[in-house]
This record gives sequence, C-alpha cells and structure tokens, in this order.
Amino acid sequence: MKRETDYGLEIKPVYTPKDIAGLDYTKDVGDPGSYPFTRGYHPNGYRSRVWTRRMTGGIGSSRRTNEQLKQFRAMGQTQGILVICDRPSAMPIDADHPMGRREAGVLGWHATSLLEFEELMEDIPLTGQSITLLGSAPLSALRLGYVVALAEKRGVDWREVHGSVSEYPFGHIFGQTDNLPLDLNIKLWLDSTEFIVRNKLHIRSGILTQHFQESGGNNPQALAIEIAMLKELLGKLVNERGLDFDDLALIPYELVSVGLRFFEEIAKVRALRRMYAKMARETFKAKTDKACQLLIAVHTSSRTMTYQQPLNNIARCAIETLAGAIAGCTAIDNACLDNAYAEPSPFAARMSLNTQHIVSDETGVTDVTDPLAGSYFVEYLTNKVEEEAYKILQQIEDMGGMIEAVKQGFIKNLMRESALQKQREIESGERLVVGVNELVIPPEEDDKIPIQSVEASDSEEIADRMANWKKTRDIPLLKEKIAQLYDDAKKGYHYNLMPSITEAVKAYGTAGEIIGVIRKAYGYHYDPLEMIDCPFEL
Amino acid sequence: MSNKQRIKVLVSVIGLDGHFTGAEVVSRFLMDAGMEVVYLGIYQTPEMIVSAAIQEHVDVIGISSHAANYEQINLLMDLMKKNNFNVPVMCGGSIPPQDAEVLIKKGVSKIFLPSSTSESIVNYIVSKVKR
Repeated sequence: MKRETDYGLEIKPVYTPKDIAGLDYTKDVGDPGSYPFTRGYHPNGYRSRVWTRRMTGGIGSSRRTNEQLKQFRAMGQTQGILVICDRPSAMPIDADHPMGRREAGVLGWHATSLLEFEELMEDIPLTGQSITLLGSAPLSALRLGYVVALAEKRGVDWREVHGSVSEYPFGHIFGQTDNLPLDLNIKLWLDSTEFIVRNKLHIRSGILTQHFQESGGNNPQALAIEIAMLKELLGKLVNERGLDFDDLALIPYELVSVGLRFFEEIAKVRALRRMYAKMARETFKAKTDKACQLLIAVHTSSRTMTYQQPLNNIARCAIETLAGAIAGCTAIDNACLDNAYAEPSPFAARMSLNTQHIVSDETGVTDVTDPLAGSYFVEYLTNKVEEEAYKILQQIEDMGGMIEAVKQGFIKNLMRESALQKQREIESGERLVVGVNELVIPPEEDDKIPIQSVEASDSEEIADRMANWKKTRDIPLLKEKIAQLYDDAKKGYHYNLMPSITEAVKAYGTAGEIIGVIRKAYGYHYDPLEMIDCPFEL
Repeated sequence: MSNKQRIKVLVSVIGLDGHFTGAEVVSRFLMDAGMEVVYLGIYQTPEMIVSAAIQEHVDVIGISSHAANYEQINLLMDLMKKNNFNVPVMCGGSIPPQDAEVLIKKGVSKIFLPSSTSESIVNYIVSKVKR
C-alpha cells in the first residue's frame, strides 16, 4: 500500500517539532478569528453557530422536488436548502426542446422558469434559512431573477434572503453540463455578481473546486485553481466593473470536496483559508478582516462513494463529515450511500442527515475550534499542500491566469492526468478500496438499497406541461421584455444585463429563451444544440 | 497490431451528460492497448453517435453514462436497429442494476460498472471483435 499523500508526497511514520521548524504561530497560524485565519474565522467556532447540515435535493418536476424538500425539513434540515437542477436546465434548454424532453427532471430539478421556482418554494420560507441553488453557471442570472421576483411577490425584502444561487463560469471545464461559450459565461457571471454587490444582496456565488476534485483533480491542484479563479474573477470585478474589493469579498464561497484521507483533507481546508487571506490582503489590499475570509462549505466526496457494497458508504460519509467538521466549515452536504447509483433516496437522505447530527451532537467536535492545530503532522501537511499549490498557481499565472490556462488546455490536462493516475493506483492495488479491490464479495450478495428514479414518462410530462404553459403566458409582455433584453445584449460586454434578465424572468421568459436571445445577440446560434430556431422576431 | 487489424472503438458521452472524465480515461486505456479510438466527446445525440459509427466503420461502440439518461441509450439502440448497423454497444458508468438489466434487454452487449478494470474492458472488446 502506498504511503503518500494524494499528490504523491511521501508520508513518514512520525512527525516531530523538526518538521515544522520555522512555523511562526502568530504569523502563519494565528488564533481563530485572527489573520491569516488558518484556524478559522470565529473565536468561538461552532459555539457561535453549528454548520448548516443539509442534503442535496432536486429530482423530477418542481412539485416533486418541493415534496422532497418538505421531507428533508421533517428529517431535521431546517438551516438551509440545497437544490441542484437537471441537465436541460444546465445547458440551458427548456423541457420542451427535443433534447430537453428526453432528460427533463433527470439528475435534478427542472429549473427553467420562474413558475418552477414558485412551485419549488411553495410553503417553504425564503428567509430564515439559506437558499442554495446549484447545477449550472448560465442559469445563475436567472436564479437570481427568480429570487428577486418571488421575494417581491411575497412582500419580502430581497436583502433578507441569504444563500447562494449563483456559481462560477468554469464548471463545464470540470464535467458540469453547460454549453455556453466561456467568454459569455464570464460576462453573465460578472453581470450577476455586480448586481448582487450594487444592490447589497446577501447572495453568494459558488467558486467551486468540488467538480474539479470529483473529476479527478488532487488537493494542491484544487487549492491552486481556487485561488487562480478567485484572483481572476474578483480582479475583473475590481478592474472592469469598478467595485471595491472589501464589498466583493462577501460574494464568493467555496464548496470543497472532502475525501477519505482525513488529515490531508483537514490540512487542505486550513491551507485554503490562509492562502485566500494572503491573496486578499497582499493582492487586493483588503482593508477589513471580513474581506480576508473565504466562506467554505464542504461536500463529502462523491468520488469516494463506491457502487459495490453501498452501505460501506455510510462509514465513508461519517469519516468525511468528521474531517469537514474538524477542518471548519459553514455547511456540509453529503454525497451519500447511493451516490454511485442515483440521486439520494429518502433512506439515504435520512442516513446522511443523521450522520451529520451524530457528528455535531454526539462526538463533541463542536466544542473546540480547530482542535488539530499544533499537531506536527497536520501543520506539516498544511504547509506542504500550500507549498505545492503555490507552485501550480505560479504555472497558471505564468500562462496569464486561469482563463488562459483553461484555453490552453492546462487545467483539463491536470485533471485528466490526475484521474488516470488514481485509476492506475487502484488497479495496481497501491490504493485500497474496500469492496472494490479488497474484501470483494460476489455481486449477487451485494447490499440491496432503495433507488430513486425518474422515468421517461416523467420527463415527457414535464415537457408537455411546459409546452402547454408557454402558450398561456402574456405573450405581448414577454415579447417586449425579450426584445429589450436583446437590445441590451447588443450594448457591449460591460453593459449589465441583470435588470433586463430579471424583467424577462418576471414575464415568465424561460432559460432557453433568455439565454437563447443573449446567445443570438452575441452571434451564436439561439439553441446551444442548434436544433431549434429562435421563436421571437428580433 | 498492424493498422489493418487494429480494433476501432467509438467512445462517446450521450445526451446532455457533461461528465467526460470516465470516457477520456477509458479512451486512453484503449489506445494504450493498441486500439484506434474515435472519441466524440460530450453532447452527442443518439443520431450523431450512430451516424459517426457508420461513417467510421467502428467495431464497437462505448457509451459513458453518469447522468441517469438511459432513455438516450434506449433511443441509440433503436436507431442502430433501424439502420441495420450491428456492432456491440458497451456502456460504462454509474448505472443501477435495474437500469442495467433494462439496457441489456434492449440489446446493450455489456455494462461495465464503476471500478471495472481497464484490463476487463480491453479483454472484453478483444473477445467480441473477431479478426
């Protein structure tokens, strides 16, 4: 068995003060609540607030997902919701698109119109819990419009809604469905983020490494990419949109993937806090402490959840949840026991939420902040993963930054090589995985678990509903808003489209339509799959 | 293997699934084993896959599936039949047992479940393609 970190650093049998000689507690570590925030942001840690214990929701129609969210609430999920969208919404294309029809509601909630958001949130409060919607970059601007529109309808102040409905424009590099060209994705991200900052909304945008790691990337690569993405995206908001970094710093949050290599995962999160704080202060000259704190949420790694003997994943999930809790985070959502099969069943969801509560309420982990600080091994690992990350970050910066590194294929290559190496290590037995290359049992003896599914007829139903509903909209109003959006989209890269997107959302324009006309204004085909024509005369 | 004898495999992700890592890793293993790989990438419709397979005269089709969109694979099998194009179709990915069963009934020749070894995939292809 290999005794190396996930990025190939040899691990010794024991660590001593010599391994962290030169570590200056005040300068390099600091108390919780003090720069460089290696130990976290709150002097009292979880005594101030326990992390949000939540499950990923989203399956089938908005009505079905609404039922699921209510079920999660009954299972004790009261601090926040997290909902992912289906693949058509992610592209985005509407359910009634010939390809949308085949996959609507599969792998997530069909999220292409305000109507669907209204149904999703029926009897669910918009405030008093965090609202997190994930699954597609182009949809970010629409989801922001959904929140604004529904808040207005319910008479709720927009600024009282908190959570995250926006996400980074790089997800498609890391295997996420999204067929919007990168430049346009970045433009819409800048527009929606600028809108959030200028309107003082409490909505964040996920700048995530979860997808990169789930696709095979290792820990220092993830840290380097996170910092590179933040540097470039936040830099654009400062330089191109004239925003103040200290206001901007309340925008990003990171969803970090936490795997099974317990100490390494904790070290990664500690290193990330330190790296971000240094970037904020040194590169962006952050004035406040708050602006040096990157909000970090944890996703227990889907990649580690095996198909074989799925009940073993409960143990994996518990270890990863404990690592995430010790590392310090604001929220955890679990990849759970059926992750290698389907979206979480009610059984898996309950197991997962219970696992989080066992960790938070039974182990004592919430009593003491950053309990592993000062451990020779953990401080050493924190230094090493950071050191390695800075080397990769330098390579990215030498290429001209994240966007250039993406365009040159460097980022995808890192991920591909790392995924390949992980596969080879499992095949050669250098890395052991119970049920896969160790303690294997015959498939017929394997654990039987309930599996959540979406039938072809469910997708058809969502598609038919959308096709019929579209005809019932106020068409003249919709046409007017769509025409306005199209005109605005022609006004240049820096002209903010959020106001006209929000107006189109309120007129029940769909994601296929809204993103479609923006695509068209930029000279792309209205339909990302080039199968249907623009239904509007523009 | 000489060029004439090289096994030609089409590898694709189907429908709106964006998860390409599995398909890319498998493509690399197949190439390392001396096979020729026609890699289509993501957002390929069943229609596109069948037409590429016919045009390229491939010996085997490999579909990577991580988005539960089995309906697209069903349609692919229907199209193969309609076009009278008969080569083994293998699928790999996170496919639950009951869905795997349905796909096999639909004519998919083999499902490689998560954690299948590269060797098992290569050996299977060699056994299916008679030279």
